[in-house]
Amino acid sequence: MSTRTARLTPHLLLAPATICLVLFVAAPLVIVLVLAFFNLNLVTGTSSFVGGTNFATEIPHPEFARALRNTLLYAVFTIGPSMVGGLLVALLIHGLRRGQGFWRSLYFLPVATTLVAMSSVWRWMFRADTGVVDTVIAPILGIHDWLSDPNLALAAITVVGNWHQIGLVAILYLAALGTLPQDQYDSASLDGAGGWNRFWHVTWPALGPTTIFVFIMTAGSALQAYDVIAAMTQGGPLGSTETLTFAIWNRGVHYFDIGRAAVLSLALLVLSVAVTAIQRTGYARRLENGGSR
Amino acid sequence: MRVLGQIVRHLLLALGGVYMLAPIILMLASAFTPTADILAGRYLAHPTLENFQTVAQQVPLGTYYLNSLIVCLATFALQLLVCVPAAFAMARLRYRGRNITVWLLGLLILIPFQVLAIPIYLIFRQVGLINTLPALILPFVGSAFAIFLLRQFFLALPGSMFDAATLDGAGTLATLIQIVIPASRPALLSLGVFTITSAWNAYFWPSFVLSDSSSATIPFGVVQFINSDAVTAYGPQMAMATLSVLPLLIAFLFAQRQFIRGLALAGQAG
Repeated sequence: MSTRTARLTPHLLLAPATICLVLFVAAPLVIVLVLAFFNLNLVTGTSSFVGGTNFATEIPHPEFARALRNTLLYAVFTIGPSMVGGLLVALLIHGLRRGQGFWRSLYFLPVATTLVAMSSVWRWMFRADTGVVDTVIAPILGIHDWLSDPNLALAAITVVGNWHQIGLVAILYLAALGTLPQDQYDSASLDGAGGWNRFWHVTWPALGPTTIFVFIMTAGSALQAYDVIAAMTQGGPLGSTETLTFAIWNRGVHYFDIGRAAVLSLALLVLSVAVTAIQRTGYARRLENGGSR
Repeated sequence: MRVLGQIVRHLLLALGGVYMLAPIILMLASAFTPTADILAGRYLAHPTLENFQTVAQQVPLGTYYLNSLIVCLATFALQLLVCVPAAFAMARLRYRGRNITVWLLGLLILIPFQVLAIPIYLIFRQVGLINTLPALILPFVGSAFAIFLLRQFFLALPGSMFDAATLDGAGTLATLIQIVIPASRPALLSLGVFTITSAWNAYFWPSFVLSDSSSATIPFGVVQFINSDAVTAYGPQMAMATLSVLPLLIAFLFAQRQFIRGLALAGQAG
């Protein structure tokens, strides 16, 4: 009796989680695949198998290329600046003798805010001509009314995206900097290595695993960018800020076009898997090993 | 020279700090300034609470806060109930197929929720969960990420802790409740910060399953308010944004260490 209970215990402990994960991850994953091949009418509740029609409609559609392009641009202009900015902030704070805690908290403050609420604040700061951004930037750079300009709206979105995550990147780099062995620096100093050399040959390789980790994180949040867009531009003007994740909502919930929303979801899945695959490749491997280049 | 370097560091950090703080300070200052003064750029010239009164008159604030609170606490409580036992089994118990379950878990973590939103939305429509609080809670109860995280922590607990419990004749459940959970307080605290702030700030999923205020959480209320109100009423808009952000900011200022540790988990959520 008791051995039987012992054998059953692990399964009983796993059961609730298994049920939840099947219901809300595994089953939906299968359903989204199936939905891509069906035409679903939410009003009448009818559905019909349409083969590859949803793919044939969605993929050549300008919406698809635009969403991919916007997602990619958003990724480029948030991953790079957030990583460089976060690393710089971390290096600056790490070298401080006083006030480390103060600056760390200050830079982390945006991470602890409600992004969608702060995006509405940013929208107000970006409002045409009288907004804070236009008052400060327009006289210097001559650009104004970012959110109504199809060429600038996505840039405005990335300003907010970076604002929200630089502090998080900085914290992760700071934690890594705190664990670096001091003796390597000492020997580098003995060799007469200057600041840049020391960074490039000692610090950067040692930060390798963190860099990979931060890249995966920022790339993931770029693919999932939604809140800022929903609060600031609703994908506009002229679709210039409609990213893949926003397009999923727009197609599925706004237009009730489930089949095409499923195709967009699958595209997002492919991109997400691709990002993790990068982790397994060349330069990433070497960084991960954290050693010699 | 040394001192100069330090000063330069502080100055550079202050420069970046303007970018970090500007929206937060502007929001707080505007929330307490009449709209006419905001438009004239006279922040806090005549500090007032009228913006908050306007919000309270136009928006069911009590309902929003209560909904947000219920969603946050229920998500975390149910997540603990579901994920702690599973993580414990996967870390410390022997059963057939354990390696496969761990491998599957690693696979499930890679799937972003955004990919699954459309099918879950359809299921919830089918069973009548649209515009209900359970719709906001259920998808996040069984979290592959939480199980993964807790499993890592349970694996790192010293084996002697469990040997002693076995010698004392403690059953599996007793071991879990009396030994593992108390020893895991830091991990559970971090997970709590992570889950609760995620639930408080969530907007993506609410925008799928909510369409009216009855089950709305604060972020959904913010967007609804800002989109419905006259565009020029900036004061009340900033007051509404403040009402969403302020509870977390205050919590952050009081428990910075726990907050930073908990929110840094976002990196691992991938």
